[in-house]
Amino acid sequence: MNEFLKKYSARLKSLALILMLAIPFMLYQTAMYGSKFQVNLFLGLFMANMLFVMKKG
Amino acid sequence: MSALFAVKWLAAFSPIFVVLVLMIFKNWSGSRAGAAGWFTALIAASLFFGAHPTLLAYSQMKGILLSLNVLYIIWAALLLYNIVNETGAIKAIGIGIERFSGDKSIQILIFGWIFASFLQGVAGYGVPIAVVAPLLVSLGFSPVVAVAVPAIGHSWSVTFGSMGASFQTLMAVTGYDYFYLAPWSAGLLGIAAFLCGIFCVHVFGGWKMVKHSFPAILIIGIAMSGTQYILAVSGMWTLGGFGASLVGFVSGLLVAKLKRYNQTKPSTATSEMSLGWALSAYFILIVIVSAGVMIPWVKEFLGQVTLTFAFPEIVSLKGWVVEAGKGKAINVFGHGGALLLYSSILSFLVYQSRGFYKSGSLKTIIQKTIKSGVPTSLGIVSMVCFAMIMDHCQMIYTLAQGISMVFGSFYPLISPWIGLLGAFMTGSNTNSNVVFGVLQQETAQLAGLSTALILAAQTTGGALGSMIAPAKILVGCSTVGLAGREGPVLKATLRYGLIITGIIGILTIVFSFFG
Repeated sequence: MNEFLKKYSARLKSLALILMLAIPFMLYQTAMYGSKFQVNLFLGLFMANMLFVMKKG
Repeated sequence: MSALFAVKWLAAFSPIFVVLVLMIFKNWSGSRAGAAGWFTALIAASLFFGAHPTLLAYSQMKGILLSLNVLYIIWAALLLYNIVNETGAIKAIGIGIERFSGDKSIQILIFGWIFASFLQGVAGYGVPIAVVAPLLVSLGFSPVVAVAVPAIGHSWSVTFGSMGASFQTLMAVTGYDYFYLAPWSAGLLGIAAFLCGIFCVHVFGGWKMVKHSFPAILIIGIAMSGTQYILAVSGMWTLGGFGASLVGFVSGLLVAKLKRYNQTKPSTATSEMSLGWALSAYFILIVIVSAGVMIPWVKEFLGQVTLTFAFPEIVSLKGWVVEAGKGKAINVFGHGGALLLYSSILSFLVYQSRGFYKSGSLKTIIQKTIKSGVPTSLGIVSMVCFAMIMDHCQMIYTLAQGISMVFGSFYPLISPWIGLLGAFMTGSNTNSNVVFGVLQQETAQLAGLSTALILAAQTTGGALGSMIAPAKILVGCSTVGLAGREGPVLKATLRYGLIITGIIGILTIVFSFFG
């Protein structure tokens, strides 16, 4: 796992940045539609992404 | 002050504390520390400040809109830098300046103080640090000094730079006109200009070099702060930073000719590229940015497409209300980042037409830009997002409230620190004025203090916050190969930022005693 993360570190960071920028748009849309489940789902994804950045960013 | 409030204040402070400790003492990168700060803010906001999923959703979207405004500049600045660097122009500029003046203190003042302030005057959003830092590295300064110098040197011109955006915001949120706010604001920022000049030199050469360069700092400082004051109080505050730095350039070049600064023999090194061609990208930048900002029809033409989102009223579970409104708009074609992008493309074409590139250079430029841009962007987005959580849950307000309660009648001493805190959190003098402008105004009125003076201290603190804001430091570090190692730079600028803010605080309280 660590080798995989090391090998693809640059690409994974780029992916993390794209997710970090994209997920809030989803959050905004779902919050505007009032879908609590989807808001929680995307918040969970956002947190997971932040966790990755905190570990490997 | 109740024990409950003290606990809430500590909870509100915890994300800032975490970021500072991790970056300064643990040498964590900005992106990792920002993410850790984000989690701390999330926990504190949920436990103590009534955050809920919908509030978090909207706050993060606002954070992304703010971040995109900054990232637009950063990516374009990195692209411009790599386009210039790939030709060998940065090295040529370094050699050219060394041949003009071998005096290191003059080089620092011209690049780190005057040119950085000029770039702040026309662009802002971290451009001064991103552009000047690699130039200073090419002059032989260490990367840490190269980032710290423009970070310190440009900060005095932030309020009246970027066409006075931060000052305009202060007027908008407080309802006061320029003739009431400008004299004190330009006065305190003028004093800050001298201090920034002194500490720019000190960060490299200590007090010995400050003593050597003091006449230059005095002459250039009087020219720049005097011009800014005159422009600001006469209603031309939009040109305050820009005009001041132009006058600074003239005085700086004259000062460089003084015998005192010609004792070090200029370098005799030569480069393949002439200084004129090497600087051509920056001439293009100056022309395009000046036209895009100062020529009304160009500005209007480019400003036709803006990206913005409407947000409803947001109420936390504790009852803190954030009014409905639009998020930070992105001016797609007229944004500072867009102007930098146009400059980058034109510079690339000019250099290519002169045959300065080897085959495959474009691929290298893009790869280097992505390599520096990604970690920097991760840091900025995570920090802005946690600042937005704090803003939407009353955490920033609680911090300021606590500070004002503790200091009571000594409030003027602390008012610039509140401005500094806002800029540190959000990376922006403008945002600091939005968040704390009204709070400072109301506190000053309650305490019977001069509102103009307190608001001047607020915006001066906000401007000085630019030198310690992790978002800005990250930008500079990314252009000199320090991405992921921002701690030492932050440590250096933090020291000077706190000293200058402390001096401004003391002056504010002294001025308040004299009415």
